[in-house]
Amino acid sequence: MTDAPITFATAVPQAAAGAAEPSRVKLAARNLAFHYGDFTALKDISFDVPENKVTALIGPSGCGKSTLLRIFNRIYSIYPGQRATGEVLLDGENVLDPKYPLNRLRSKIGMVFQKPVPFPMSIFDNIAYGIGHYEKLSKADMADRVEEALRQAALWDEVKDKLKQSALGLSGGQQQRLCIARAVALKPQVILFDEPTSALDPIATGKIEQLFAELKQQFTILIVTHNMQQAARCSDFTAFMYLGELIEHGPTTTIFTKPTKQQTEDYITGRFG
Amino acid sequence: MASVADRLYFRRRLVNAMSLVLSGAATLFGLFWLVWILWVTISKGVDAMSLSLFTEMTPPPGQDTGGLKNAIVGSLMLSTLAICLGAPVGIAAGTFLAEYARSRKIGEVIRFVNDILLSAPSIVLGLFVYTLVVRPTGSFSGYAGSVAMAFIVLPVVVRTTDEMLRLVPSQMREAALSLGIPQWKVTTQILYRAALPGIVTGVLLALARISGETAPLLFTAFNNQYWNTDMSGAMPNLPVTIFQFAMSPFEYWNQLAWAGAFLITLFVLAVSLVARTLLLRKKTHHD
Repeated sequence: MTDAPITFATAVPQAAAGAAEPSRVKLAARNLAFHYGDFTALKDISFDVPENKVTALIGPSGCGKSTLLRIFNRIYSIYPGQRATGEVLLDGENVLDPKYPLNRLRSKIGMVFQKPVPFPMSIFDNIAYGIGHYEKLSKADMADRVEEALRQAALWDEVKDKLKQSALGLSGGQQQRLCIARAVALKPQVILFDEPTSALDPIATGKIEQLFAELKQQFTILIVTHNMQQAARCSDFTAFMYLGELIEHGPTTTIFTKPTKQQTEDYITGRFG
Repeated sequence: MASVADRLYFRRRLVNAMSLVLSGAATLFGLFWLVWILWVTISKGVDAMSLSLFTEMTPPPGQDTGGLKNAIVGSLMLSTLAICLGAPVGIAAGTFLAEYARSRKIGEVIRFVNDILLSAPSIVLGLFVYTLVVRPTGSFSGYAGSVAMAFIVLPVVVRTTDEMLRLVPSQMREAALSLGIPQWKVTTQILYRAALPGIVTGVLLALARISGETAPLLFTAFNNQYWNTDMSGAMPNLPVTIFQFAMSPFEYWNQLAWAGAFLITLFVLAVSLVARTLLLRKKTHHD
């Protein structure tokens, strides 16, 4: 697309009530492109992610929304043949620069995946493992940190009596909240969610959606979802993607009520996708 | 009246019945020989069972007493050292294949070469170690025997480690890496843990495989009629003892050979059962 990227200078004043107060840009994509070998999956993507807000990426299957999300913490780089060009600015610093330390990036930008994957260890150790990699804590301090993380993920009450049991025995919804706790425990600044509820039943989905409102007080949240109702319910800002391009980006209420692009309107009214 | 659909259905049922009979017969044919071999081994072996097998040495020709003590201990030592040599290298190589060379050309090449080694005749490995170790050192030795068997352990462990690590969902790697944990830590502290039952199973299968191998020992550890725990000399061992005793004209030696065969069969069975249980536990854990 040829339009200038929609930034917060332009987007925020149009925002409906709820997303009205101006917000600092936490994460920004600048002319991002992504290639799987010779195939170009993303073209010239630029947009801003405001701090302490939930931004949703929506679009039909294969539009590149997960691919885009996976650029932000450079998780794509573990696969040969995948490369990103352009810039991702975290507080103004380009994290795609090879000189930007990968471990620092990933301690600042956490990620929760579509399929919950607890590590094959106890519930407690699942959370403590990541913390222990960054900080040397006493036993009591570690227990506090684990409890704090589990509380933030609304899982504490369900698991407080079985912290030593294997995490593989938890239900799917509990496992996903454990994964959220694991990401939250490192106190990142941004958390990426890649279709976090698509493998869960409606009740578990509801619990996780409720969490977003809590978590955004402390973190900046970017979520990929194929579920438009979810984007409408949980997000402050929405970006609509189609065929590897960012079609439209703005406050969720605007995108869902008065989209400016025909393709966006066709998608949200269910004409395709 | 028989419609086209009826005739078609009849034909399908006929083909189905024929396939069932043929595949069933093939299975029975295979099982028949297996059961027969096991039956002969067990019946002859049980007859020859006695406590003296474990307390007395292999007898000289013509003597009607004696056991397999030296051969059993020798075999245990040879197998243990072979596993200690082969398993760590195999696990390391399998890890390289699964984690570092997954979709690279070099990985494909190594996998192919490893499969060749996997099906290499064990006597060739024995001769290889004969020229590599026995000739330069000038004598048969337990070390040479263990090295020869380690070459059998190696490809089995490489293969199973590679496969078991590749079975760990890539999401687990991504989840661990996304916490900012370096790859070597992710591999040793998380992926190994997830694949542990499978990797241990591979090592156990390799142990089962070498415990009955005779050919690689013929030119390396040779055999020894006497008690010997010094691995720099020729080592007594069960497979070669069975080979020699079974071919001999002495009836008591023949009996001991049956007893040895029975012991090895039991050992392999036990090891396989442990391996199975481990794998089964892994499955129920992950579902």
